[in-house]
Amino acid sequence: MSDSTIQHNEDSRDVTFRVHRFNPQVDSKPYFDDYTIRLEKGITVLRALNYIKEHVDASLTFRAFCQAGICGSCAMRVNNMSKLACTTQVWDELDKCREPGIIKVEPLRNLPLIKDLVVEMDPLVEKMKGYSNWVDSKMPEENWGRKEFPVSEAEFLKYDKATDCILCASCVSECTILRANKQYVSPAVLLKSYRMNVDSRDSMHEQRLAGLVKDHGVWDCTHCYRCQESCVKHIPIMDAIHGIREEAIAERGVKDTSGARHAEAFMEDIGKKGKLVEATLPIRTNGVVWTMKNLLPMAFKMVLKRRTPPPPPLVKSTKDIEKFRAEFREMSGHVAKDHAKKSGE
Amino acid sequence: MKQYAYYQSCINESMTKEVDRSIELWQHDLGIEMVKLHESTCCGGSNLDYVSPKHFALVNARNIAAAEKLGLDLVVSCNTCLMTIRSAKKKLDESAELRTEVNEILSKEGLQYRGTSEVRHLLWVLIDDVGLDTIREKVKVPLSKLRIAPFYGCHILRPSTVLGKDNPMEPTSLDQLLDALGGKTIRYDHKNRCCGFHTLLVAEEESLNVAAEALQEAMDEKADCIVTPCPLCHTVLDGYQAKALKKSGSHGSIPVYHLSEVVGLALGFTERQLGIRRHIVT
Repeated sequence: MSDSTIQHNEDSRDVTFRVHRFNPQVDSKPYFDDYTIRLEKGITVLRALNYIKEHVDASLTFRAFCQAGICGSCAMRVNNMSKLACTTQVWDELDKCREPGIIKVEPLRNLPLIKDLVVEMDPLVEKMKGYSNWVDSKMPEENWGRKEFPVSEAEFLKYDKATDCILCASCVSECTILRANKQYVSPAVLLKSYRMNVDSRDSMHEQRLAGLVKDHGVWDCTHCYRCQESCVKHIPIMDAIHGIREEAIAERGVKDTSGARHAEAFMEDIGKKGKLVEATLPIRTNGVVWTMKNLLPMAFKMVLKRRTPPPPPLVKSTKDIEKFRAEFREMSGHVAKDHAKKSGE
Repeated sequence: MKQYAYYQSCINESMTKEVDRSIELWQHDLGIEMVKLHESTCCGGSNLDYVSPKHFALVNARNIAAAEKLGLDLVVSCNTCLMTIRSAKKKLDESAELRTEVNEILSKEGLQYRGTSEVRHLLWVLIDDVGLDTIREKVKVPLSKLRIAPFYGCHILRPSTVLGKDNPMEPTSLDQLLDALGGKTIRYDHKNRCCGFHTLLVAEEESLNVAAEALQEAMDEKADCIVTPCPLCHTVLDGYQAKALKKSGSHGSIPVYHLSEVVGLALGFTERQLGIRRHIVT
């Protein structure tokens, strides 16, 4: 049993918070300050930070408001994970410390740093605006306030979870692609776009979707699920991202993007051979010119090492392929019926 | 000899053949046997699920049903196949309506999805069934000279509602196995991060940035090699390594091994036998 486990069973103990500090008016680069305070079991990270600010170092700067996991303003990275300070128990974090007894507290990633633990939220707000993430009512203005716009329970269930988002930006902070390119739409924005796009009261689906399938949009998500895993409200964010993709392909026929072509190639290959034909996937996704320019030098090395995927005629179909193809086609019939039923509704 | 239905991932039949070759070499040494499912099809690679959710359910119900027919658990050695087939299983197990629809079609081939076979990663089988103590006893050439950067990849960890074996924030399974093989693992931020594979053809620049960052951290932490349980992560970290590092202005290189290869090395097989010389970075 390690020392930290023994101490962590106590009802009160000394805990060290290693807190990210940076004041752009004074500091040339960020640094960490250690604050060791005596705490009782049941204290949240936010209450501990409040104690430090009131009793140890008044210059420590962080954002917080509701203290109840509702407003989303106290999101920060605690022990390398973005979460709300107000709903995070210090005692739970003691298990996760890389150095026993030292809880690391840092600002959210992928947003510009203002000071200490405070980041600029404007880039996120601007993206929300850029993708028109509000309901633009289908109802003529003269009827506003006079007529109801009923929503069925089945429809509400589609976006019920998505409406739980409190815009804390934990998912934004953990996003892999945003870390690689700040222009990327970001998971919180995709979630909100999905929520708007499945709302029958909204009239801007086409316009919103047209924006989402452009560069740095929905197809750039790399399916790493970090957003979903870090969501403080446990929203299945990837379901929303996949939902936008499904709508783009199936219902609105927006197939003229590399992302959609790449995804459709899986469907096509499975239907024909039961296996993915990897050799031609780059060409089918991005065309011959892109493939020659981007992959030729690497393909040469791969040929030398005999690790090139086989050309399409040599991809062996799966055993019992005829039976499988018949089943696949039968399911296509079911899907066509589903679509007909849905468009008839 | 405990048997498993072995799911053949598309990538292991084409670009990363060394994975299945390695497993075939040592499986009997560890008292397990992978029975290849020749009738299985591509899982949809984390793409079919939104192109056509119903085809996605059908295809993977069929993959699992083939294992159920043999009365065996389905074992995969690709993270994305693992996550994809487990996601389909979860959907099938939660919806009687979907099960009925799919089974009606599958019955024409004499198959039925019942939900009786588990879908597991090779890494999980090694830890939970073979056991770390047995593996420790069988090691002939401990990996004691190696400082290893374990790279879990995303789809063996996340979403945790579908995977659930490791804590996605602090995974330990791969570290435990590498420890049993005699290796020393390093602790670094990228061990549970993404390799960028799934956007290589759609957002190449972003993917290469993601890969370069992972490779660089492993090198900065003075790791001798990276080990991954996923052939897709391997393809990026090995195959695209030179391109990614060149773009980020980094010098140097680091070998990347499949999980199945380091098991083979520790059990006394040679690099040539295991197909390690097929890697781009050697």
